[in-house]
Amino acid sequence: MTAKTADGKEIGKQSRHYHPQATNEKSSKMLYGAQVKTAYLRDTSIQPYRTKEETFEFVLPEGVRSAEVTVNLFYEISSPALIAEIHKVTRTVTLDR
Amino acid sequence: MRLRWLLVGALVAMPAVASAQKAKTIDELAQMFDSSRCKSCHAEIYAQWEKSHHARPMMGVAGGLKDTPLAMKGATPFSPDDPSKATIATFPCFKCHLPQAVTHAEDSVAVEYAQALIAKDKAKIGKLQITCLVCHNEKAIVHRLSDGKPQPGVLYSSKEVASHPDKVFKSVKKSGIFKQSLMCGQCHGLGPNLEFENPVQCATLYGSYLHAYIPAGGTQTCQECHMKPINGQADHLIAPNWDDVPGVSKILQEALSLDVQTLGYEWLEKAKTHVPKVVVNTKINSTAGHRVPDG
Ligand code: HEC
Ligand code: HEC
Ligand code: HEC
Ligand code: HEC
Ligand code: HEC
Repeated sequence: MTAKTADGKEIGKQSRHYHPQATNEKSSKMLYGAQVKTAYLRDTSIQPYRTKEETFEFVLPEGVRSAEVTVNLFYEISSPALIAEIHKVTRTVTLDR
Repeated sequence: MRLRWLLVGALVAMPAVASAQKAKTIDELAQMFDSSRCKSCHAEIYAQWEKSHHARPMMGVAGGLKDTPLAMKGATPFSPDDPSKATIATFPCFKCHLPQAVTHAEDSVAVEYAQALIAKDKAKIGKLQITCLVCHNEKAIVHRLSDGKPQPGVLYSSKEVASHPDKVFKSVKKSGIFKQSLMCGQCHGLGPNLEFENPVQCATLYGSYLHAYIPAGGTQTCQECHMKPINGQADHLIAPNWDDVPGVSKILQEALSLDVQTLGYEWLEKAKTHVPKVVVNTKINSTAGHRVPDG
Protein backbone atom coordinates (compact mmCIF):
# COMPACT_ATOMS: atom_id res chain seq x y z
CA MET A 1 0.00 0.00 0.00
CA THR A 2 1.49 3.32 -1.04
CA ALA A 3 0.23 6.91 -0.88
CA LYS A 4 1.75 9.50 -3.23
CA THR A 5 1.30 13.23 -3.73
CA ALA A 6 -0.01 14.60 -7.05
CA ASP A 7 3.58 15.13 -8.25
CA GLY A 8 4.52 11.52 -7.42
CA LYS A 9 6.36 12.02 -4.13
CA GLU A 10 5.86 9.12 -1.73
CA ILE A 11 3.93 10.07 1.40
CA GLY A 12 3.99 6.67 2.97
CA LYS A 13 4.11 2.95 2.45
CA GLN A 14 2.57 0.30 4.67
CA SER A 15 2.27 -3.43 4.27
CA ARG A 16 0.71 -6.50 5.84
CA HIS A 17 2.08 -10.01 5.53
CA TYR A 18 -0.39 -12.87 5.44
CA HIS A 19 1.19 -16.24 6.20
CA PRO A 20 1.63 -18.88 8.87
CA GLN A 21 4.79 -18.37 10.90
CA ALA A 22 6.68 -21.21 12.56
CA THR A 23 9.50 -21.74 15.05
CA ASN A 24 11.37 -24.79 16.28
CA GLU A 25 9.69 -24.14 19.66
CA LYS A 26 13.09 -23.80 21.35
CA SER A 27 13.44 -20.11 20.57
CA SER A 28 11.15 -17.26 19.61
CA LYS A 29 12.82 -16.86 16.19
CA MET A 30 10.63 -17.52 13.17
CA LEU A 31 12.29 -20.09 10.91
CA TYR A 32 12.00 -21.32 7.34
CA GLY A 33 12.55 -24.93 6.29
CA ALA A 34 10.56 -28.13 6.79
CA GLN A 35 13.57 -29.72 8.48
CA VAL A 36 13.41 -27.29 11.44
CA LYS A 37 9.85 -25.96 11.63
CA THR A 38 7.98 -27.53 14.53
CA ALA A 39 4.92 -25.42 15.30
CA TYR A 40 3.17 -22.24 14.27
CA LEU A 41 3.43 -19.38 16.73
CA ARG A 42 1.37 -16.96 14.66
CA ASP A 43 -0.84 -17.40 11.62
CA THR A 44 -1.87 -14.31 9.66
CA SER A 45 -2.88 -16.26 6.54
CA ILE A 46 -6.24 -15.67 4.86
CA GLN A 47 -8.76 -18.09 6.33
CA PRO A 48 -11.68 -19.67 4.48
CA TYR A 49 -14.99 -17.81 5.01
CA ARG A 50 -13.34 -15.19 7.22
CA THR A 51 -12.90 -11.63 6.08
CA LYS A 52 -9.45 -10.12 6.54
CA GLU A 53 -10.01 -6.45 7.44
CA GLU A 54 -7.36 -3.76 7.66
CA THR A 55 -7.27 -0.01 8.20
CA PHE A 56 -4.30 1.98 6.93
CA GLU A 57 -3.89 5.64 7.87
CA PHE A 58 -1.59 8.19 6.23
CA VAL A 59 -1.04 11.68 7.63
CA LEU A 60 -0.64 14.15 4.75
CA PRO A 61 2.34 16.53 4.83
CA GLU A 62 1.74 20.31 5.25
CA GLY A 63 -0.06 21.82 2.35
CA VAL A 64 -0.90 18.55 0.62
CA ARG A 65 -4.65 18.25 -0.01
CA SER A 66 -4.83 15.12 -2.13
CA ALA A 67 -3.05 11.82 -2.56
CA GLU A 68 -2.94 8.93 -4.95
CA VAL A 69 -3.38 5.65 -3.06
CA THR A 70 -2.36 2.30 -4.53
CA VAL A 71 -3.36 -0.97 -2.91
CA ASN A 72 -1.40 -3.90 -4.30
CA LEU A 73 -2.31 -7.45 -3.29
CA PHE A 74 0.23 -10.01 -4.48
CA TYR A 75 1.49 -13.52 -3.75
CA GLU A 76 5.19 -14.00 -3.10
CA ILE A 77 5.88 -17.47 -4.49
CA SER A 78 9.31 -18.36 -3.17
CA SER A 79 11.23 -15.10 -2.85
CA PRO A 80 10.53 -11.38 -3.24
CA ALA A 81 11.79 -11.78 -6.81
CA LEU A 82 9.03 -14.21 -7.81
CA ILE A 83 5.65 -12.55 -7.47
CA ALA A 84 2.14 -13.20 -8.79
CA GLU A 85 0.00 -10.06 -8.98
CA ILE A 86 -3.56 -10.48 -7.70
CA HIS A 87 -5.32 -7.11 -7.44
CA LYS A 88 -4.13 -3.54 -7.85
CA VAL A 89 -6.47 -0.67 -7.01
CA THR A 90 -5.50 2.98 -7.47
CA ARG A 91 -7.62 5.88 -6.15
CA THR A 92 -7.16 9.60 -5.89
CA VAL A 93 -8.27 10.84 -2.49
CA THR A 94 -8.80 14.54 -1.81
CA LEU A 95 -9.68 16.62 1.21
CA ASP A 96 -11.41 19.24 -0.93
CA ARG A 97 -15.18 19.06 -1.30
CA MET B 1 18.06 -61.22 -32.18
CA ARG B 2 16.10 -58.05 -32.58
CA LEU B 3 12.94 -59.71 -31.32
CA ARG B 4 14.72 -61.01 -28.26
CA TRP B 5 15.92 -57.59 -27.32
CA LEU B 6 12.45 -56.18 -27.67
CA LEU B 7 11.10 -58.87 -25.42
CA VAL B 8 13.65 -58.20 -22.71
CA GLY B 9 12.92 -54.50 -22.98
CA ALA B 10 9.20 -55.08 -22.62
CA LEU B 11 9.61 -57.21 -19.51
CA VAL B 12 11.73 -54.65 -17.77
CA ALA B 13 9.28 -51.90 -18.66
CA MET B 14 6.30 -53.55 -17.01
CA PRO B 15 6.17 -52.63 -13.37
CA ALA B 16 3.26 -54.00 -11.39
CA VAL B 17 4.29 -52.30 -8.11
CA ALA B 18 3.84 -53.88 -4.66
CA SER B 19 6.92 -56.02 -5.33
CA ALA B 20 8.69 -57.58 -2.37
CA GLN B 21 12.10 -56.63 -3.69
CA LYS B 22 13.27 -53.10 -3.01
CA ALA B 23 14.91 -50.79 -5.53
CA LYS B 24 18.67 -50.35 -5.11
CA THR B 25 19.10 -47.43 -7.50
CA ILE B 26 17.15 -44.36 -8.57
CA ASP B 27 16.66 -45.95 -11.98
CA GLU B 28 15.21 -49.10 -10.45
CA LEU B 29 12.83 -47.09 -8.28
CA ALA B 30 11.76 -44.93 -11.24
CA GLN B 31 11.27 -48.08 -13.30
CA MET B 32 9.12 -49.69 -10.62
CA PHE B 33 6.69 -46.75 -10.71
CA ASP B 34 7.17 -45.86 -14.37
CA SER B 35 3.92 -44.62 -15.87
CA SER B 36 5.12 -43.58 -19.32
CA ARG B 37 3.08 -46.40 -20.86
CA CYS B 38 -0.17 -44.80 -19.66
CA LYS B 39 0.49 -41.92 -22.06
CA SER B 40 -0.45 -43.90 -25.16
CA CYS B 41 -4.10 -44.19 -24.05
CA HIS B 42 -4.51 -41.36 -21.52
CA ALA B 43 -2.67 -38.70 -23.52
CA GLU B 44 -4.56 -35.68 -22.22
CA ILE B 45 -4.35 -36.63 -18.54
CA TYR B 46 -0.70 -37.54 -19.00
CA ALA B 47 0.07 -34.14 -20.52
CA GLN B 48 -1.66 -32.37 -17.63
CA TRP B 49 0.17 -34.47 -15.04
CA GLU B 50 3.56 -33.87 -16.73
CA LYS B 51 3.19 -30.12 -16.08
CA SER B 52 2.02 -30.64 -12.50
CA HIS B 53 3.97 -30.37 -9.27
CA HIS B 54 3.32 -34.07 -8.72
CA ALA B 55 5.57 -34.76 -11.72
CA ARG B 56 8.45 -32.82 -10.10
CA PRO B 57 8.09 -33.27 -6.35
CA MET B 58 11.83 -32.96 -5.65
CA MET B 59 12.28 -29.64 -7.49
CA GLY B 60 8.87 -28.05 -7.52
CA VAL B 61 9.54 -24.33 -7.78
CA ALA B 62 11.77 -22.92 -10.52
CA GLY B 63 13.76 -26.17 -10.68
CA GLY B 64 15.18 -25.63 -7.18
CA LEU B 65 16.81 -28.65 -5.52
CA LYS B 66 15.03 -28.12 -2.22
CA ASP B 67 16.55 -31.08 -0.37
CA THR B 68 20.17 -30.00 -0.91
CA PRO B 69 20.72 -28.95 2.75
CA LEU B 70 19.76 -32.48 3.80
CA ALA B 71 22.74 -33.80 1.85
CA MET B 72 25.19 -31.25 3.31
CA LYS B 73 27.01 -31.99 6.56
CA GLY B 74 25.75 -29.83 9.41
CA ALA B 75 23.20 -27.92 7.33
CA THR B 76 20.17 -29.60 8.94
CA PRO B 77 19.64 -31.86 11.96
CA PHE B 78 19.13 -34.75 9.50
CA SER B 79 22.20 -34.25 7.32
CA PRO B 80 24.69 -37.14 7.35
CA ASP B 81 28.43 -36.50 7.75
CA ASP B 82 28.88 -37.49 4.13
CA PRO B 83 26.41 -38.09 1.26
CA SER B 84 27.55 -41.74 1.23
CA LYS B 85 26.08 -42.12 4.75
CA ALA B 86 22.59 -40.95 3.74
CA THR B 87 19.66 -43.30 4.43
CA ILE B 88 15.95 -43.24 3.73
CA ALA B 89 15.56 -41.99 7.32
CA THR B 90 17.84 -38.97 6.76
CA PHE B 91 15.31 -37.77 4.15
CA PRO B 92 12.07 -37.51 6.19
CA CYS B 93 10.77 -35.46 3.24
CA PHE B 94 10.20 -38.73 1.33
CA LYS B 95 7.11 -39.36 3.48
CA CYS B 96 5.12 -37.03 1.22
CA HIS B 97 7.42 -35.93 -1.61
CA LEU B 98 8.34 -39.49 -2.65
CA PRO B 99 6.37 -41.99 -0.54
CA GLN B 100 7.39 -44.93 -2.74
CA ALA B 101 10.98 -44.48 -1.51
CA VAL B 102 9.90 -45.25 2.05
CA THR B 103 8.20 -48.50 1.07
CA HIS B 104 10.14 -49.60 -2.02
CA ALA B 105 13.74 -48.35 -1.81
CA GLU B 106 16.95 -49.46 -0.12
CA ASP B 107 19.17 -46.92 1.65
CA SER B 108 21.44 -47.01 -1.42
CA VAL B 109 18.76 -44.95 -3.23
CA ALA B 110 19.11 -42.24 -0.55
CA VAL B 111 22.91 -42.28 -1.02
CA GLU B 112 22.53 -41.89 -4.78
CA TYR B 113 20.00 -39.09 -4.23
CA ALA B 114 22.27 -37.25 -1.75
CA GLN B 115 25.16 -37.50 -4.20
CA ALA B 116 22.95 -36.30 -7.07
CA LEU B 117 21.89 -33.28 -4.96
CA ILE B 118 25.51 -32.31 -4.35
CA ALA B 119 26.31 -32.83 -8.04
CA LYS B 120 23.16 -30.82 -8.99
CA ASP B 121 22.20 -33.71 -11.28
CA LYS B 122 18.72 -32.52 -12.22
CA ALA B 123 18.28 -35.12 -14.94
CA LYS B 124 18.62 -37.90 -12.39
CA ILE B 125 16.55 -36.21 -9.68
CA GLY B 126 13.84 -35.47 -12.25
CA LYS B 127 13.21 -39.22 -12.51
CA LEU B 128 11.79 -39.18 -8.99
CA GLN B 129 8.11 -38.42 -9.45
CA ILE B 130 4.67 -38.90 -7.94
CA THR B 131 3.60 -40.93 -10.96
CA CYS B 132 0.17 -42.26 -11.92
CA LEU B 133 1.03 -45.47 -10.07
CA VAL B 134 1.83 -43.67 -6.81
CA CYS B 135 -1.72 -42.31 -6.59
CA HIS B 136 -3.63 -45.02 -8.48
CA ASN B 137 -1.91 -47.92 -6.65
CA GLU B 138 0.52 -47.19 -3.80
CA LYS B 139 -1.53 -44.45 -2.04
CA ALA B 140 -4.97 -45.59 -3.21
CA ILE B 141 -6.00 -47.39 -0.02
CA VAL B 142 -5.90 -45.81 3.42
CA HIS B 143 -8.04 -48.32 5.33
CA ARG B 144 -5.51 -51.10 4.88
CA LEU B 145 -6.82 -53.27 7.68
CA SER B 146 -10.40 -53.20 6.44
CA ASP B 147 -9.78 -53.03 2.70
CA GLY B 148 -6.40 -54.74 2.29
CA LYS B 149 -3.21 -53.35 0.78
CA PRO B 150 -3.05 -52.24 -2.86
CA GLN B 151 -2.52 -55.31 -5.04
CA PRO B 152 0.07 -55.70 -7.77
CA GLY B 153 -1.34 -55.40 -11.27
CA VAL B 154 -4.45 -53.55 -10.08
CA LEU B 155 -5.22 -49.86 -10.45
CA TYR B 156 -7.63 -48.03 -8.16
CA SER B 157 -9.86 -45.13 -9.06
CA SER B 158 -13.27 -43.65 -8.35
CA LYS B 159 -14.97 -46.33 -10.41
CA GLU B 160 -14.43 -49.93 -11.37
CA VAL B 161 -13.24 -50.99 -14.83
CA ALA B 162 -13.56 -54.77 -15.04
CA SER B 163 -11.33 -55.11 -18.07
CA HIS B 164 -8.63 -52.47 -18.40
CA PRO B 165 -6.70 -52.77 -21.68
CA ASP B 166 -3.22 -52.21 -20.15
CA LYS B 167 -0.74 -55.11 -20.37
CA VAL B 168 0.00 -55.24 -16.66
CA PHE B 169 -2.81 -53.41 -14.89
CA LYS B 170 -5.66 -55.51 -16.22
CA SER B 171 -8.35 -54.16 -13.94
CA VAL B 172 -9.32 -51.00 -12.11
CA LYS B 173 -10.96 -51.40 -8.72
CA LYS B 174 -13.01 -48.81 -6.93
CA SER B 175 -11.25 -47.08 -4.07
CA GLY B 176 -13.57 -45.58 -1.48
CA ILE B 177 -11.40 -42.47 -1.04
CA PHE B 178 -10.66 -41.37 -4.62
CA LYS B 179 -13.30 -38.68 -4.66
CA GLN B 180 -12.57 -37.67 -1.06
CA SER B 181 -10.16 -35.09 0.38
CA LEU B 182 -8.51 -37.83 2.44
CA MET B 183 -6.86 -39.09 -0.75
CA CYS B 184 -4.93 -35.82 -1.01
CA GLY B 185 -4.71 -35.33 2.75
CA GLN B 186 -2.31 -38.29 2.98
CA CYS B 187 0.51 -36.05 1.74
CA HIS B 188 -0.83 -32.52 2.22
CA GLY B 189 -0.05 -32.37 5.91
CA LEU B 190 -1.86 -32.00 9.22
CA GLY B 191 0.75 -30.22 11.33
CA PRO B 192 4.20 -31.14 12.64
CA ASN B 193 5.30 -34.70 11.80
CA LEU B 194 6.46 -35.91 15.19
CA GLU B 195 7.27 -39.51 14.33
CA PHE B 196 10.78 -38.56 13.18
CA GLU B 197 13.84 -38.22 15.44
CA ASN B 198 13.51 -34.45 14.99
CA PRO B 199 10.23 -32.71 14.13
CA VAL B 200 9.48 -31.95 10.45
CA GLN B 201 6.80 -29.49 9.40
CA CYS B 202 6.06 -28.74 5.78
CA ALA B 203 2.57 -28.67 4.26
CA THR B 204 -0.21 -28.36 6.87
CA LEU B 205 -2.95 -27.65 4.39
CA TYR B 206 -5.08 -30.73 5.08
CA GLY B 207 -5.13 -29.67 8.73
CA SER B 208 -6.43 -26.26 7.67
CA TYR B 209 -9.07 -27.92 5.47
CA LEU B 210 -10.25 -30.09 8.39
CA HIS B 211 -10.05 -27.47 11.12
CA ALA B 212 -10.91 -24.19 9.38
CA TYR B 213 -12.84 -24.93 6.17
CA ILE B 214 -15.08 -27.75 7.46
CA PRO B 215 -15.98 -25.94 10.74
CA ALA B 216 -16.85 -22.83 8.70
CA GLY B 217 -19.42 -24.90 6.83
CA GLY B 218 -17.40 -25.71 3.69
CA THR B 219 -18.45 -28.87 1.90
CA GLN B 220 -16.34 -29.16 -1.25
CA THR B 221 -13.55 -31.68 -1.71
CA CYS B 222 -10.01 -31.01 -2.91
CA GLN B 223 -10.93 -32.77 -6.18
CA GLU B 224 -14.03 -30.62 -6.75
CA CYS B 225 -11.94 -27.45 -6.65
CA HIS B 226 -8.59 -28.68 -8.02
CA MET B 227 -9.54 -31.39 -10.54
CA LYS B 228 -12.56 -29.85 -12.29
CA PRO B 229 -13.15 -32.00 -15.38
CA ILE B 230 -11.73 -30.85 -18.71
CA ASN B 231 -13.34 -32.61 -21.69
CA GLY B 232 -15.17 -34.77 -19.20
CA GLN B 233 -12.05 -35.97 -17.35
CA ALA B 234 -10.59 -34.92 -14.02
CA ASP B 235 -7.88 -32.28 -14.62
CA HIS B 236 -4.53 -33.73 -13.55
CA LEU B 237 -2.63 -30.42 -13.70
CA ILE B 238 -4.07 -29.88 -10.22
CA ALA B 239 -3.19 -26.17 -10.29
CA PRO B 240 -1.73 -23.90 -9.00
CA ASN B 241 1.48 -24.52 -10.90
CA TRP B 242 3.95 -22.07 -9.35
CA ASP B 243 6.09 -22.02 -12.49
CA ASP B 244 3.18 -20.54 -14.46
CA VAL B 245 2.95 -17.11 -12.85
CA PRO B 246 0.10 -15.71 -15.04
CA GLY B 247 -1.88 -18.90 -14.30
CA VAL B 248 -1.27 -18.45 -10.57
CA SER B 249 -2.47 -14.82 -10.79
CA LYS B 250 -5.66 -15.94 -12.50
CA ILE B 251 -6.50 -18.55 -9.83
CA LEU B 252 -5.78 -16.08 -7.04
CA GLN B 253 -7.85 -13.33 -8.70
CA GLU B 254 -10.82 -15.68 -8.79
CA ALA B 255 -10.33 -16.95 -5.24
CA LEU B 256 -9.55 -13.71 -3.41
CA SER B 257 -11.71 -10.61 -3.55
CA LEU B 258 -10.38 -7.24 -2.48
CA ASP B 259 -12.64 -4.38 -1.41
CA VAL B 260 -11.01 -0.96 -1.00
CA GLN B 261 -12.67 2.05 0.67
CA THR B 262 -10.87 5.39 0.85
CA LEU B 263 -11.50 8.60 2.74
CA GLY B 264 -9.76 11.95 2.92
CA TYR B 265 -10.63 14.17 5.90
CA GLU B 266 -9.27 16.46 8.57
CA TRP B 267 -9.26 14.83 11.95
CA LEU B 268 -9.69 17.09 14.97
CA GLU B 269 -6.94 15.71 17.18
CA LYS B 270 -7.35 18.39 19.84
CA ALA B 271 -8.67 21.91 19.98
CA LYS B 272 -7.57 23.90 16.90
CA THR B 273 -5.42 21.01 15.56
CA HIS B 274 -6.72 19.42 12.40
CA VAL B 275 -4.65 16.52 11.07
CA PRO B 276 -5.11 15.89 7.30
CA LYS B 277 -5.47 12.19 6.80
CA VAL B 278 -6.06 9.56 4.19
CA VAL B 279 -7.72 6.40 5.46
CA VAL B 280 -7.82 3.18 3.46
CA ASN B 281 -9.98 0.27 4.56
CA THR B 282 -9.43 -3.10 2.90
CA LYS B 283 -11.40 -6.33 3.10
CA ILE B 284 -10.13 -9.58 1.63
CA ASN B 285 -12.39 -12.62 1.24
CA SER B 286 -11.35 -16.07 0.10
CA THR B 287 -13.26 -18.90 -1.51
CA ALA B 288 -10.38 -21.40 -1.12
CA GLY B 289 -10.87 -24.54 0.96
CA HIS B 290 -8.02 -23.81 3.37
CA ARG B 291 -5.66 -21.06 4.46
CA VAL B 292 -3.93 -18.98 1.79
CA PRO B 293 -1.02 -19.39 1.66
CA ASP B 294 -0.05 -22.69 3.27
CA GLY B 295 3.16 -23.43 5.18
C1 HEC C 1 -4.18 -49.67 -24.09
C2 HEC C 1 -4.79 -48.45 -23.58
C3 HEC C 1 -4.60 -48.14 -22.11
C4 HEC C 1 -3.43 -48.11 -21.39
C5 HEC C 1 -2.01 -48.44 -21.84
C6 HEC C 1 -3.78 -47.63 -20.08
N1 HEC C 1 -5.13 -47.41 -20.00
FE1 HEC C 1 -6.17 -46.79 -18.40
N2 HEC C 1 -7.91 -47.00 -19.37
C7 HEC C 1 -8.03 -47.30 -20.71
C8 HEC C 1 -9.42 -47.27 -21.08
C9 HEC C 1 -9.98 -47.52 -22.48
C10 HEC C 1 -10.14 -46.96 -19.90
C11 HEC C 1 -11.64 -46.73 -19.75
C12 HEC C 1 -12.37 -47.96 -19.40
C13 HEC C 1 -13.85 -47.64 -19.15
O1 HEC C 1 -14.16 -46.51 -18.76
O2 HEC C 1 -14.64 -48.55 -19.34
C14 HEC C 1 -9.17 -46.80 -18.85
C15 HEC C 1 -9.47 -46.49 -17.53
C16 HEC C 1 -8.52 -46.13 -16.58
C17 HEC C 1 -8.82 -45.69 -15.24
C18 HEC C 1 -10.18 -45.61 -14.59
C19 HEC C 1 -10.81 -44.30 -14.92
C20 HEC C 1 -12.00 -43.92 -14.08
O3 HEC C 1 -13.01 -43.61 -14.71
O4 HEC C 1 -11.90 -43.86 -12.86
C21 HEC C 1 -7.63 -45.37 -14.65
C22 HEC C 1 -7.41 -44.85 -13.24
C23 HEC C 1 -6.59 -45.66 -15.61
N3 HEC C 1 -7.17 -46.11 -16.76
C24 HEC C 1 -5.27 -45.46 -15.36
C25 HEC C 1 -4.26 -45.94 -16.19
C26 HEC C 1 -2.86 -45.92 -15.83
C27 HEC C 1 -2.30 -45.38 -14.53
C28 HEC C 1 -2.19 -46.48 -16.87
C29 HEC C 1 -0.70 -46.75 -16.95
C30 HEC C 1 -0.19 -47.71 -15.99
C31 HEC C 1 -3.16 -46.84 -17.87
N4 HEC C 1 -4.41 -46.50 -17.42
C32 HEC C 1 -2.86 -47.43 -19.07
C33 HEC C 1 -7.00 -47.57 -21.57
C34 HEC C 1 -5.67 -47.69 -21.22
C1 HEC D 1 1.84 -38.88 -2.70
C2 HEC D 1 1.66 -37.63 -2.01
C3 HEC D 1 0.64 -36.67 -2.59
C4 HEC D 1 -0.68 -36.90 -2.88
C5 HEC D 1 -1.46 -38.19 -2.73
C6 HEC D 1 -1.21 -35.65 -3.37
N1 HEC D 1 -0.23 -34.69 -3.37
FE1 HEC D 1 -0.42 -32.79 -4.03
N2 HEC D 1 1.57 -32.49 -3.81
C7 HEC D 1 2.43 -33.37 -3.18
C8 HEC D 1 3.74 -32.77 -3.11
C9 HEC D 1 4.96 -33.39 -2.48
C10 HEC D 1 3.64 -31.51 -3.75
C11 HEC D 1 4.73 -30.46 -3.89
C12 HEC D 1 5.72 -30.82 -4.90
C13 HEC D 1 6.73 -29.69 -5.02
O1 HEC D 1 7.72 -29.69 -4.27
O2 HEC D 1 6.50 -28.81 -5.83
C14 HEC D 1 2.27 -31.38 -4.20
C15 HEC D 1 1.77 -30.28 -4.89
C16 HEC D 1 0.42 -30.03 -5.06
C17 HEC D 1 -0.14 -28.81 -5.59
C18 HEC D 1 0.63 -27.65 -6.21
C19 HEC D 1 0.76 -26.48 -5.28
C20 HEC D 1 1.98 -26.51 -4.43
O3 HEC D 1 2.01 -25.75 -3.43
O4 HEC D 1 2.95 -27.22 -4.76
C21 HEC D 1 -1.51 -28.92 -5.50
C22 HEC D 1 -2.54 -27.88 -5.87
C23 HEC D 1 -1.79 -30.24 -4.97
N3 HEC D 1 -0.61 -30.87 -4.72
C24 HEC D 1 -3.07 -30.74 -4.75
C25 HEC D 1 -3.33 -32.09 -4.51
C26 HEC D 1 -4.64 -32.69 -4.58
C27 HEC D 1 -5.91 -31.93 -4.87
C28 HEC D 1 -4.48 -34.01 -4.33
C29 HEC D 1 -5.54 -35.09 -4.30
C30 HEC D 1 -6.24 -35.33 -5.56
C31 HEC D 1 -3.07 -34.24 -4.09
N4 HEC D 1 -2.40 -33.05 -4.21
C32 HEC D 1 -2.52 -35.47 -3.76
C33 HEC D 1 2.12 -34.61 -2.69
C34 HEC D 1 0.91 -35.26 -2.89
C1 HEC E 1 3.53 -34.09 5.51
C2 HEC E 1 4.05 -34.23 4.17
C3 HEC E 1 5.34 -33.53 3.84
C4 HEC E 1 6.58 -33.68 4.43
C5 HEC E 1 6.96 -34.61 5.57
C6 HEC E 1 7.47 -32.77 3.74
N1 HEC E 1 6.79 -32.07 2.76
FE1 HEC E 1 7.48 -30.53 1.65
N2 HEC E 1 5.67 -30.28 0.78
C7 HEC E 1 4.60 -31.13 0.98
C8 HEC E 1 3.51 -30.69 0.12
C9 HEC E 1 2.17 -31.39 0.01
C10 HEC E 1 3.96 -29.55 -0.56
C11 HEC E 1 3.20 -28.69 -1.54
C12 HEC E 1 1.97 -28.05 -1.00
C13 HEC E 1 2.13 -26.98 0.01
O1 HEC E 1 3.20 -26.37 0.13
O2 HEC E 1 1.12 -26.72 0.68
C14 HEC E 1 5.33 -29.32 -0.12
C15 HEC E 1 6.14 -28.27 -0.55
C16 HEC E 1 7.46 -28.11 -0.23
C17 HEC E 1 8.31 -27.05 -0.72
C18 HEC E 1 7.89 -25.92 -1.63
C19 HEC E 1 7.83 -26.41 -3.03
C20 HEC E 1 9.16 -26.62 -3.65
O3 HEC E 1 9.37 -27.71 -4.22
O4 HEC E 1 10.02 -25.73 -3.57
C21 HEC E 1 9.57 -27.27 -0.20
C22 HEC E 1 10.81 -26.42 -0.41
C23 HEC E 1 9.49 -28.46 0.62
N3 HEC E 1 8.20 -28.95 0.57
C24 HEC E 1 10.56 -29.00 1.31
C25 HEC E 1 10.46 -30.12 2.15
C26 HEC E 1 11.58 -30.68 2.85
C27 HEC E 1 13.02 -30.19 2.72
C28 HEC E 1 11.09 -31.69 3.62
C29 HEC E 1 11.85 -32.61 4.55
C30 HEC E 1 12.71 -32.01 5.52
C31 HEC E 1 9.66 -31.75 3.40
N4 HEC E 1 9.32 -30.79 2.49
C32 HEC E 1 8.81 -32.62 4.04
C33 HEC E 1 4.51 -32.16 1.88
C34 HEC E 1 5.50 -32.54 2.77
C1 HEC F 1 -1.92 -36.90 -7.10
C2 HEC F 1 -2.62 -38.14 -7.34
C3 HEC F 1 -2.88 -38.56 -8.78
C4 HEC F 1 -1.95 -38.74 -9.77
C5 HEC F 1 -0.45 -38.48 -9.71
C6 HEC F 1 -2.67 -39.24 -10.90
N1 HEC F 1 -4.00 -39.33 -10.61
FE1 HEC F 1 -5.49 -39.96 -11.88
N2 HEC F 1 -6.87 -39.46 -10.51
C7 HEC F 1 -6.61 -39.04 -9.22
C8 HEC F 1 -7.87 -38.80 -8.54
C9 HEC F 1 -8.03 -38.34 -7.10
C10 HEC F 1 -8.89 -39.08 -9.48
C11 HEC F 1 -10.40 -38.96 -9.26
C12 HEC F 1 -10.83 -37.53 -9.51
C13 HEC F 1 -12.30 -37.34 -9.41
O1 HEC F 1 -13.04 -38.28 -9.65
O2 HEC F 1 -12.72 -36.22 -9.10
C14 HEC F 1 -8.21 -39.50 -10.71
C15 HEC F 1 -8.89 -39.88 -11.86
C16 HEC F 1 -8.26 -40.45 -12.97
C17 HEC F 1 -8.95 -40.95 -14.15
C18 HEC F 1 -10.43 -40.87 -14.37
C19 HEC F 1 -10.73 -39.52 -14.97
C20 HEC F 1 -12.18 -39.19 -15.13
O3 HEC F 1 -12.59 -38.11 -14.67
O4 HEC F 1 -12.91 -40.01 -15.70
C21 HEC F 1 -8.01 -41.44 -15.00
C22 HEC F 1 -8.24 -42.07 -16.36
C23 HEC F 1 -6.73 -41.22 -14.37
N3 HEC F 1 -6.92 -40.62 -13.15
C24 HEC F 1 -5.52 -41.55 -14.93
C25 HEC F 1 -4.29 -41.09 -14.44
C26 HEC F 1 -3.06 -41.18 -15.18
C27 HEC F 1 -2.89 -41.81 -16.53
C28 HEC F 1 -2.10 -40.60 -14.41
C29 HEC F 1 -0.64 -40.37 -14.73
C30 HEC F 1 -0.38 -39.58 -15.93
C31 HEC F 1 -2.74 -40.17 -13.17
N4 HEC F 1 -4.07 -40.47 -13.24
C32 HEC F 1 -2.08 -39.55 -12.11
C33 HEC F 1 -5.38 -38.87 -8.64
C34 HEC F 1 -4.17 -38.92 -9.32
C1 HEC G 1 -13.35 -24.56 -2.18
C2 HEC G 1 -12.28 -24.83 -3.12
C3 HEC G 1 -11.03 -25.52 -2.63
C4 HEC G 1 -10.94 -26.66 -1.86
C5 HEC G 1 -12.07 -27.48 -1.23
C6 HEC G 1 -9.54 -26.96 -1.77
N1 HEC G 1 -8.79 -26.02 -2.41
FE1 HEC G 1 -6.78 -25.95 -2.55
N2 HEC G 1 -6.86 -24.11 -3.39
C7 HEC G 1 -8.02 -23.49 -3.80
C8 HEC G 1 -7.68 -22.21 -4.36
C9 HEC G 1 -8.66 -21.21 -4.93
C10 HEC G 1 -6.27 -22.08 -4.26
C11 HEC G 1 -5.43 -20.89 -4.72
C12 HEC G 1 -5.07 -20.01 -3.56
C13 HEC G 1 -3.79 -20.43 -2.92
O1 HEC G 1 -2.75 -20.44 -3.58
O2 HEC G 1 -3.80 -20.79 -1.73
C14 HEC G 1 -5.80 -23.30 -3.65
C15 HEC G 1 -4.46 -23.56 -3.37
C16 HEC G 1 -3.98 -24.81 -2.99
C17 HEC G 1 -2.59 -25.14 -2.80
C18 HEC G 1 -1.44 -24.15 -2.84
C19 HEC G 1 -1.38 -23.56 -1.43
C20 HEC G 1 -0.54 -22.35 -1.19
O3 HEC G 1 0.38 -22.42 -0.36
O4 HEC G 1 -0.80 -21.27 -1.76
C21 HEC G 1 -2.53 -26.47 -2.48
C22 HEC G 1 -1.30 -27.27 -2.19
C23 HEC G 1 -3.90 -26.95 -2.42
N3 HEC G 1 -4.75 -25.92 -2.72
C24 HEC G 1 -4.28 -28.25 -2.10
C25 HEC G 1 -5.57 -28.59 -1.68
C26 HEC G 1 -5.91 -29.84 -1.02
C27 HEC G 1 -4.96 -30.97 -0.76
C28 HEC G 1 -7.23 -29.77 -0.70
C29 HEC G 1 -8.07 -30.77 0.07
C30 HEC G 1 -7.57 -31.13 1.41
C31 HEC G 1 -7.72 -28.49 -1.21
N4 HEC G 1 -6.69 -27.80 -1.77
C32 HEC G 1 -9.04 -28.06 -1.09
C33 HEC G 1 -9.30 -23.98 -3.68
C34 HEC G 1 -9.67 -25.10 -2.95
